Amino acid sequence: MNKELAINMLAAVKKPARYTGGEFGSIFKEEAEVRIALAFPDVYEVGMSYLGFKILYHLVNKMEGIAAERAYAPWIDMEQLMRERNIVLTTLETKKALCECDLVGFTLQYELSYTNILNMLDLGGVSVLAAERGDEEPFVVVGGPCVFNPEPLADVIDFAILGEGEEALPEVLTCYRNWKREGKPGGRQEFLHRAVRIPGVYVPSFYDVTYNEDFTIKAVTPNTPDAPATVTKRVVADLNNVDFPTAPVVPFGEIVHDRIMLEMFRGCSRGCRFCHAGMVYRPVRERRPEVLRELAHKQVDNTGYEEISLVSLSTADYSCLGPFLDTMIADFKDRKVSVSLPSLRIDAFSVDVAKKVQAVRKSGLTFAPEAGSQRMRDVINKGVTEEDLLHAVSAAFANGWKKVKLYFMIGLPGETDEDVLAIARLAKKVQWKFKEITGKGGCQVTISASSFVPKPYTAFQWAPQDTLEEIRRKQGLLIEATRVKNITFQYHDGKTSIMEGVFARGDRRLGKALYLAWQRGQRFDGWADVFDFERWQQVLQDCGLDPDFYNHRVRGDQEVFPWEHLQPAVNRAFLASEYKKAKQGLLTADCRQGHCNGCGVCQRLGVPVMDWSGRAYDASKEKGFVSLAEKMADGDNQGYSAATQRPGLPKEGGEAE
Amino acid sequence: MKLRFQITKEKEIRFISHLEYVRTIGRAIRRAKLPAAYSQGFNPHMKYSLASALGVGVVSYAEFVELELTEPVHPLEAAEALQKALPRGIRVLAVDAVDNSAPALMSVAGGAEYRVTLPWTGDIAPAVEAFNRAEAVFFEKQAPKAKEKVRRIDVKFYISELSAVQREKETELHFHCRITRDGSMKAVDLLNTLNEQYGLQLPVEKADIERMDLYRVDEMGNKWPMLDTLFEQG
Ligand code: SF4
Repeated sequence: MNKELAINMLAAVKKPARYTGGEFGSIFKEEAEVRIALAFPDVYEVGMSYLGFKILYHLVNKMEGIAAERAYAPWIDMEQLMRERNIVLTTLETKKALCECDLVGFTLQYELSYTNILNMLDLGGVSVLAAERGDEEPFVVVGGPCVFNPEPLADVIDFAILGEGEEALPEVLTCYRNWKREGKPGGRQEFLHRAVRIPGVYVPSFYDVTYNEDFTIKAVTPNTPDAPATVTKRVVADLNNVDFPTAPVVPFGEIVHDRIMLEMFRGCSRGCRFCHAGMVYRPVRERRPEVLRELAHKQVDNTGYEEISLVSLSTADYSCLGPFLDTMIADFKDRKVSVSLPSLRIDAFSVDVAKKVQAVRKSGLTFAPEAGSQRMRDVINKGVTEEDLLHAVSAAFANGWKKVKLYFMIGLPGETDEDVLAIARLAKKVQWKFKEITGKGGCQVTISASSFVPKPYTAFQWAPQDTLEEIRRKQGLLIEATRVKNITFQYHDGKTSIMEGVFARGDRRLGKALYLAWQRGQRFDGWADVFDFERWQQVLQDCGLDPDFYNHRVRGDQEVFPWEHLQPAVNRAFLASEYKKAKQGLLTADCRQGHCNGCGVCQRLGVPVMDWSGRAYDASKEKGFVSLAEKMADGDNQGYSAATQRPGLPKEGGEAE
Repeated sequence: MKLRFQITKEKEIRFISHLEYVRTIGRAIRRAKLPAAYSQGFNPHMKYSLASALGVGVVSYAEFVELELTEPVHPLEAAEALQKALPRGIRVLAVDAVDNSAPALMSVAGGAEYRVTLPWTGDIAPAVEAFNRAEAVFFEKQAPKAKEKVRRIDVKFYISELSAVQREKETELHFHCRITRDGSMKAVDLLNTLNEQYGLQLPVEKADIERMDLYRVDEMGNKWPMLDTLFEQG
């Protein structure tokens, strides 16, 4: 097997550091009983920025005798050279070909990376189709957000792990090790039958899918007694009790998120109706401030990074963000480490936070109103008013900012031209506000509008997606309406959204299209300069599939979705009622510190919302707050009013209160 | 006080760019918790620099990094701490300490020693002999950006002598290359020159180029090590 990337190959490709490996913090286990490749289906700079794999890499490598190594998709230039010379894709650590690993784990971060999965398997010497994989070949496992509908990949993957991997993946690896130690009895099938007993594990080949005449799903039924009728996701009940990386790999070259990523909490309970992450990562579970602080110190020591990003779905919602930020800034000032937030909430508090963390004022502030009109913001349950936005930008302008970037979506369900034009109007109002506050003109407003793609397990999973023509027409409206000085309008061609939509709500029938598209040369579909829409359309046509079936059809109340047997534990009835409320423009409040909206997650998973503002809300047991026995001030007097005990959960092996 | 380290850029990481190499060393210094000095202002940066930029793909056993400190530390202890914080492919070979006022290392380098290994088995001896005998050997180099602009350089000004060893499957070249305040020439350009001037077909794109040493040169032409007081790493 030829693995060597020769000097003249590396000299000929862009960014050769992508293929170097051996970065500080990378872990080499020459001898290992079980080896898993954590394969990211995109280039190094993108994959290295993914927190989930940083966590699993750290966690798996702590296991005795088990090695986790990294693999990324070679860029097109390198792939061509590898194919010319018959060079196999390997991991970066001990340079194992993917086919020499025991398992190859891909993360499904976005639908348009699926062709890369097929391509990486092929380059790594692994049979692309699961049914053709021999006994000596690795198992292909997937995880990540899109795993709640991996059906288009059903022919490719051996199994999937739903939800958070910190507990489930070690269980799977241990199960694999035992099976391997026993001499792999019963071949591949036997291992799958063992693995499927682990909660959260989904084996697509253990289910039969039947269709109605119109190709909607009739039923998805297990074809073996070992497979459960539905697979429910795994979550870690208390993030303070699981390992978080303290010494992540530090790349040589610049990656997309080239900084420490400190995960503050998981889940988001704001309930935006378009948001997939907001539904599938529930419930909200915060890490304790003192745990975070310790992790931050270790990471700074071990990486040498100069920036810590406090990441989560909406960091400004972290219950003790103010005091926590003050501590962090004070802790790291002398070490020249800055603290940053990936996103801001639309309020003055967030501007205050931005002021604290941002030394340089030149760069702009970014807000995400998501929709231009109040009507539309109510439809999506954004819970933000024009007044909130103008208030927030006023605070920003008063503090010296001159540039604002606003994120929107177009193509939201029920959107009218009026709603689209409201985006431009809102941007102009922001400019007027600048004049009002500073008495000057020259405020730069950038509008970025992405086209909305309905996702499974959101209130809009029933909704038709806008057609390409419609998206282009709406973009045209905005182009016209933003021909104003100092307003910049950014948008993407809608073609990629069409294919994203097809795969997001796709079914198993798409498997052959995926395979054919890959064979015809599709890869890196998420890269606009490589994406070939015409080829995709041809492929779908050749497979007898209609993109409109997936995207533009109104799905009925009773329709069975291809993903129904894969459960993030959000009740269908809740989503249906959210869709209904959306049509009526009715809001649903954040459940984090208020009352339970009955989405079902806490009850079905038996895991409460965890918030350290001094109270915890346990909807898993009953409706209402579980008050903490004691609010304990933080030991070394940080000024947090944080709880130091796990609320509403067993102390150690005991029963929940 | 300034610390000056001789470090390597070895095979494993030969394809990281100069910028990536510089960043990697900066982060290692931070991990080693050396008391580095920082510039003033909104965006303070660490006061460290490298003596010379190395071409991508070139292995080196003689990279020099200079670091300004806010308080004195023992050079050997600093070297040890730095070594622990460096990734595979970078080793600390030597260290010395000088005053802040000492001239930057960048300005004192006078020459470099190279070894180039090629998977090529033709007869190199005539070309080497001719090159060594020639008064001047010209090479026309295109400026990277402006295609029409061609710079004509005399290779012999930089490289006065070549030697070669040939083995069963490969050819190894040794030479010294002069470094002036205005720059130097690249090892690959020597190979291109040999191909053009002597009709050789050296596979330039497969050349394994290694910088073996970097040194100072005095007016008399004597070579001196870059670092003053050497604390060689064991
Ligand atoms: S079950 Fe209730 S409290 Fe828990 S996430 Fe859903 S709405 Fe929020």
